[in-house]
Amino acid sequence: MKLILSTSNIMSGGPSVIRRHTFEKSNTELTSSLRANFTAHRSSPPTPTTTNGDAAATRPKPPFKSWTTQQENTLWIPTHTPSPLSEPRESYDITVKLFYLPNVPADTRRVQTREAIDLVLKELGTSSIDLLIVSFPGISFDADDEESDLDDPPSAPASLADDGDADGAPEDIDTIVTTWHTLEKLYEEGLVSKLGISEFGCSRLEKFLPRTTVKPSVDQINVRDCCVVPKPLILYAKQQKIELLTHNDCTNVLPRGTLRDILGSGEKGVGVLAGEKDEGERLRGEVQPQWVVKYTAVVKDRGVVESKGYLAVAELSE
Amino acid sequence: MGLLALGTPLEWPEAKKVASKVRSWGIEQLLAIWGNAKGKERAALLWGDEIEYLVVCYDEQNRKVRLSLRQADILAALANDEKLLQEGGGVPDVQRGPVKEGETAPVFHPEFGRFMLETTPGKPWGIGFKDLLDVEPNMKWRRIIAKDHMEATEYPITLTTFPRLGSPDCIVPAYPASGPKLRSQYVPDEIANPHIRFPTLAANIRWRRGRKVEINVPVFRDEKTQWPFKDPTVNYHLHQWPEDDDVRNGAAKDNHVYMDAMAFGMGSCCLQITFQAKNIQEGRTMYDQLSPLGPILLALTAATPIYKGFLVDTDVRWNQISRAVDDRTPEELGEKPLQNDRWRIPKSRYASNSTYISQDPRLRPEYLDPDLVVDEDIKRRLVEGGMDDLLATHFAHLFIRDPIVVFAEDLETLDLSKADHFENLQSTNWQHMRFKPPPPNTDMGWRVEFRPMEIQITDFENAAFSIFIVLITRAILSFNLNFYLPIQRVSENMETAHKRDALSAEKFWFRKNPFGSHAHSTGTSTPADGSRPPTPVGPVDDEYEQMTINEVINGQQAADGGDCFPGLISIVESYLDSMNVDVETRCDLARYLDLIRKRADGTYWTAAKWIRHFVQTHPKYEKDSVVGDEITYDLVKAAEQITREEGRDGLGKEMLGKRR
Repeated sequence: MKLILSTSNIMSGGPSVIRRHTFEKSNTELTSSLRANFTAHRSSPPTPTTTNGDAAATRPKPPFKSWTTQQENTLWIPTHTPSPLSEPRESYDITVKLFYLPNVPADTRRVQTREAIDLVLKELGTSSIDLLIVSFPGISFDADDEESDLDDPPSAPASLADDGDADGAPEDIDTIVTTWHTLEKLYEEGLVSKLGISEFGCSRLEKFLPRTTVKPSVDQINVRDCCVVPKPLILYAKQQKIELLTHNDCTNVLPRGTLRDILGSGEKGVGVLAGEKDEGERLRGEVQPQWVVKYTAVVKDRGVVESKGYLAVAELSE
Repeated sequence: MGLLALGTPLEWPEAKKVASKVRSWGIEQLLAIWGNAKGKERAALLWGDEIEYLVVCYDEQNRKVRLSLRQADILAALANDEKLLQEGGGVPDVQRGPVKEGETAPVFHPEFGRFMLETTPGKPWGIGFKDLLDVEPNMKWRRIIAKDHMEATEYPITLTTFPRLGSPDCIVPAYPASGPKLRSQYVPDEIANPHIRFPTLAANIRWRRGRKVEINVPVFRDEKTQWPFKDPTVNYHLHQWPEDDDVRNGAAKDNHVYMDAMAFGMGSCCLQITFQAKNIQEGRTMYDQLSPLGPILLALTAATPIYKGFLVDTDVRWNQISRAVDDRTPEELGEKPLQNDRWRIPKSRYASNSTYISQDPRLRPEYLDPDLVVDEDIKRRLVEGGMDDLLATHFAHLFIRDPIVVFAEDLETLDLSKADHFENLQSTNWQHMRFKPPPPNTDMGWRVEFRPMEIQITDFENAAFSIFIVLITRAILSFNLNFYLPIQRVSENMETAHKRDALSAEKFWFRKNPFGSHAHSTGTSTPADGSRPPTPVGPVDDEYEQMTINEVINGQQAADGGDCFPGLISIVESYLDSMNVDVETRCDLARYLDLIRKRADGTYWTAAKWIRHFVQTHPKYEKDSVVGDEITYDLVKAAEQITREEGRDGLGKEMLGKRR
């Protein structure tokens, strides 16, 4: 079965979108806004006293079928209705970032990419995207760029509360190029106006660029302190007309363990997946995260973020 | 403060007779604007900053610095600079060049004080990050142009007040005090811009009050300050004007520095930001949401520890301006029973806000001021004219005041295509936020002005605070933030911000949770939620608590890891994370946010603290609160050096850190 997890629009979602530590790179925005959206859907009708978590935790979990929707072999967690943008398309700058996840065979990426774009377009009620950035598993600018300044501090431990399937080995260049060709098609079809990659350093860019037809317009890098971006990368990007943008997402945004915790029957889970004990109607099997997509729609001339959210897809195998 | 049309100004007794007429014509003009513009939509955010300078003049030989009264000459030089005009700049009140597609030179404006100069960008800023990064260079460019049109001995300095304004021999050219308009012991009538509007404003405020304005600032008590402190500069033996009796009737208070003229307040320099909203609703939201931030930003920008040659016990300018234009009569002040006047009025025309105006379900009635004075007839007329109750209340509150400057010529016919009578009242209500309807016959939209900030010594700081406020507004609109606080708490915060070193020593009321409940406040959530009852609300008093400025800016640390206020900086950072920002821009913005972060946590000093320290460690300071000529000379010189070097040479590094 396919699971589609959604956060809805997280801009009015409260503290889950506010990061507390300025240069922390993390997936807490994704995980906490998923949890918040699940909670919001599960707790209906609300009980006035459950503003702090205690009461909610001790109450029995409502059956997942009451707040999710199954369509054929797809389970929407939670039940989802798109939130189309309110102004005409040309008012917006729509950026989509697609996180390819580890342990997914490269040849399924093509399908995944289409699926992710389709879902986002449906969510926002639009037919095109201004910028599509892709993130490949295991690629991290800090570790990768051998030209980093020597006084560049060693990369901070990524905050992956994980059970082993961490970033793993960086994706090899052939797989990246194959995937890129899929994106070039989206570009040619006019679905996407600009393409971007994430966390590429100089050497990877040098290997990658000659093998592309449509060059990336953007390279998104995580900078704990923007002022330590290595000069060579800045120069090379300028020369290649690639804009260096900042971000603070981690590459492996949805490790399997995290997903299991969120969906599971444990204390912090929402009770979609069955735990050790038999728990009635809950689902059984292994979850494998497939991809995560983040979308942001900004009203261009006003600098207002109208819509931002995540969709994540996982496979549940019996 | 632009120059309105010239004409014959009415003296107060005459102006008073036509006050009702001006008000009712103003209201009709407002209704005409409302009718035309209530549905006006403007796609783009546009915003502008206003910087005000004091023009100082050095007398190197005698190690003295005075205020230069050459505003008119400097403006004339600017208005006639061909190159500046060609580049689009100039003096809008006289002449300016065409606004350019690309870079447009800045423009300059007269101000109340004849020693002041105001400057704004040649055209408004947008929200593009490139625009944000243009602000600081543009501010620096403005100062260079201003300086280029001054004498070699003059300099445009950005101190909020001139430390020795009102002391003997503090202006050039020199004029005797005790003129017919101001009747001040300390400053001559020539201190004000000679345009008839300004002296009339000062004279009619005094006349309406029935005495001179009265500004008493608590003196800072140092080791050797005489105590009780009796302001030694007060002259009890003047008999030129009836108002000279004021001090004999107790106008000058013990342990306070006494001042008696509008120039002591309106001669202060501020940093003001004006935003154009998408439409009236967004404007009303911004007005309400920025209002509780006013006192916080006032305390963060504190820069005013000296008045009339004495160290004082307050850090900001606000209340001094408030008193300097306080036209309330003894009856309105509550000193005498009401007989001739219509009501007691709790605040000066220049004061913190008294209204919220957004039609926002989050605006609880408990937030509103229960003692708000409103002209019910005017409100009725506005409601009749189609305005909603909330906004009608706002304007009917502003219109409890009398117009101060009325030109006889303007009373002949009511011109509904103009806004002069409306602006007469609107622009002499100086609250810390101003909600500005579109001027008739322009393509401008509804605007909101953020007015509490003090001017900073460097343009780096002025840019930092301007950009910070712009980013905050974007975050407010993006995250749909809720900073509502009962309006009296905001007023209390305004008072708190005055205290010496309020930034590190005081706490301010602030809302604990600025966020709504998850996703369901936008109305775009799933239909399943449609039948939900509204989120239950607890007592208003549980919504807010006292926080330090550091907590408001940098966030609270929750002992138990639970929810707590994340801090305005985190909110802005999260907004930036949602935007596509290139690394160099982010790096530049980080410098600004870092300044604010470190001001708030005390790592860097406010200008108020720095200036105090400068005076108290000056070899000529005698620990008696007196800031003499030589200290003032060195202080102004130091401020100029900091403006130029921005701490790179070490001077002022306590305020600015080690700049690259």
